[in-house]
Amino acid sequence: MKISDCMKRNVVSIPATLTIAEAAGIFVNRKVGILPVIDEDSKPIGIVSLRDLLELELPDFVNFIADLDFVHDFGAVETTRPTLKELAQPVTSIMQPITTIPEDCGLLRAYAMMLQHNLLDLPVVSKTGKLVGIASRVDVGTAILSTWPSKEAKKQ
Amino acid sequence: MIVAAAVLFSLIFLICLWLIFTEKLDRSLTSIAGAALMVGVGIILNLYTESDALAAIDFNTLGLLLGMMILVALLEPTGVFQFLAVWAGRLSRGRPILLLVLLGTVTTVLSMFLNNVTTVVLIAPVTILISEILGINPLPYLVAEALLSNVGGVATLIGDPPNILIASAANLTFDQFLTHSLPIVVAVWLVALLLIRFLFRHELSIKPPNTGVLMQLNPAEALEDRKTAWRALVVLAVTILFFFIYHFFHISPAYVALSGAVIALVWIRPKFDEVLKRVEWSVLIFFAALFIMVGGLEAAGVLDALVRLMEHAAVIPPVLFGVLLIWVVAGLSAIVDNVPITIALIPVIQGLGAAGMDVGPLWWALAFGAGFGGNGTIIGSTANIIVATLSEKTRTPITPKLWNKRGLPVMLATCAVASILYAIAYPLF
Repeated sequence: MKISDCMKRNVVSIPATLTIAEAAGIFVNRKVGILPVIDEDSKPIGIVSLRDLLELELPDFVNFIADLDFVHDFGAVETTRPTLKELAQPVTSIMQPITTIPEDCGLLRAYAMMLQHNLLDLPVVSKTGKLVGIASRVDVGTAILSTWPSKEAKKQ
Repeated sequence: MIVAAAVLFSLIFLICLWLIFTEKLDRSLTSIAGAALMVGVGIILNLYTESDALAAIDFNTLGLLLGMMILVALLEPTGVFQFLAVWAGRLSRGRPILLLVLLGTVTTVLSMFLNNVTTVVLIAPVTILISEILGINPLPYLVAEALLSNVGGVATLIGDPPNILIASAANLTFDQFLTHSLPIVVAVWLVALLLIRFLFRHELSIKPPNTGVLMQLNPAEALEDRKTAWRALVVLAVTILFFFIYHFFHISPAYVALSGAVIALVWIRPKFDEVLKRVEWSVLIFFAALFIMVGGLEAAGVLDALVRLMEHAAVIPPVLFGVLLIWVVAGLSAIVDNVPITIALIPVIQGLGAAGMDVGPLWWALAFGAGFGGNGTIIGSTANIIVATLSEKTRTPITPKLWNKRGLPVMLATCAVASILYAIAYPLF
């Protein structure tokens, strides 16, 4: 089985001209974890993840204190929100480099890539470099499990 | 020939200082490259041998630093610093000025006995936490912690590297620092705190909306490894106790610190490799390389020339000479690291002593200048650099411009107060 057999083909992607606020709206409406950013030829140029957006709100101390178990209430930061000015920035300001795999990639290689790059979703591109699909860890993982030998299959 | 060698050696040293100042090259790498070059040139000119270079290293300083670094490396992961900062935060009940005083005091007291960098590295994150959950600006607290840790370090023999260097060279004891340096530091510290309070008056006047949120921070939970913390603290306390009495046993402070480290290691039995990883080897290399370079300057007669030059200046009253030394060293320490300055000036002062000058008071002038001077610029001390680097990763970065407005005045005021008290107490030094 190839990655193209288990990926989702209706990918939600965004152009580089969007603002952070507009991207946030798409995350909310489509309930996705990542938004690939594509150019006019629908080639992926970067990726915006839910995590990058939430980074705007996450307090600084989270990056400095390893064990936060003793902090039971985040107090003032719980109610601080990004400013309108921050939200009016283009998505390219928080866009990260994108990792993609070709559509003929094997499942195990795809899964290993996700593990190594710490990705939950993996965008898939065609031979011409166009974004054609997206596969989540669940998609890839269950596709691999479905190929495992079973007693029922043996009887048949 | 001798003059050419002196010029060449001075040039190597000055280029190294320039590279450290501009941060073009890592300071430890710069100094070890300079040391290697100097020994090489010294061998060719038949002026400075490998064994001379080894003899120039003050192993008492290195041993004392290593011993204290190991003790700190044991304390670091236990969360005891976090515990203290959280405790100070709760005690302040969210009142900005009280929070400044308490966090400042904790930082100062810790940096009197442990190295400033560790203190600031461990206290600053909790400071950012407390400020953020209170909804106030962390800048006044972070800048104050760097400034006050530098001030506090001057108070004791083990507080700051320049003190360790000076004590080792001049045979000053731990108690002498407490009788000569501590009283001045207390006065200087109060002035620094009042000035910080004034300079940050706008930020500190903002009352946090919800101070109750501090009460849910549990210091006991912040303390992660109670058993190790307890053992390391007991050994640290006994080690500090021994600093008061080591001279009765004819042993060196280095032996006290290293024995403390060994006892703590045997008692706690941590993963030794991980403890060694937390030791700042680059700092030890930096020191050793500087000793070798300054030994080279001495062999090439550069320091003798400086001594003769300064003897001419000795016509001015000794008190004025001391005060002048404070300001010259402070100025230099604000620009370059205070360690190379101190290591280079020690043989000069020893030379002045050999020439018949009463150098007792000059050692204290050197300690005050090196200690308080580092507050002058954002790169003046390692604590400043650490706080600035940390704040760059936050929404409120400390910029060189901000430091010039809020740090430099504190450096000038502390040096002024130290100079006045030094002049008044001069006969006692």
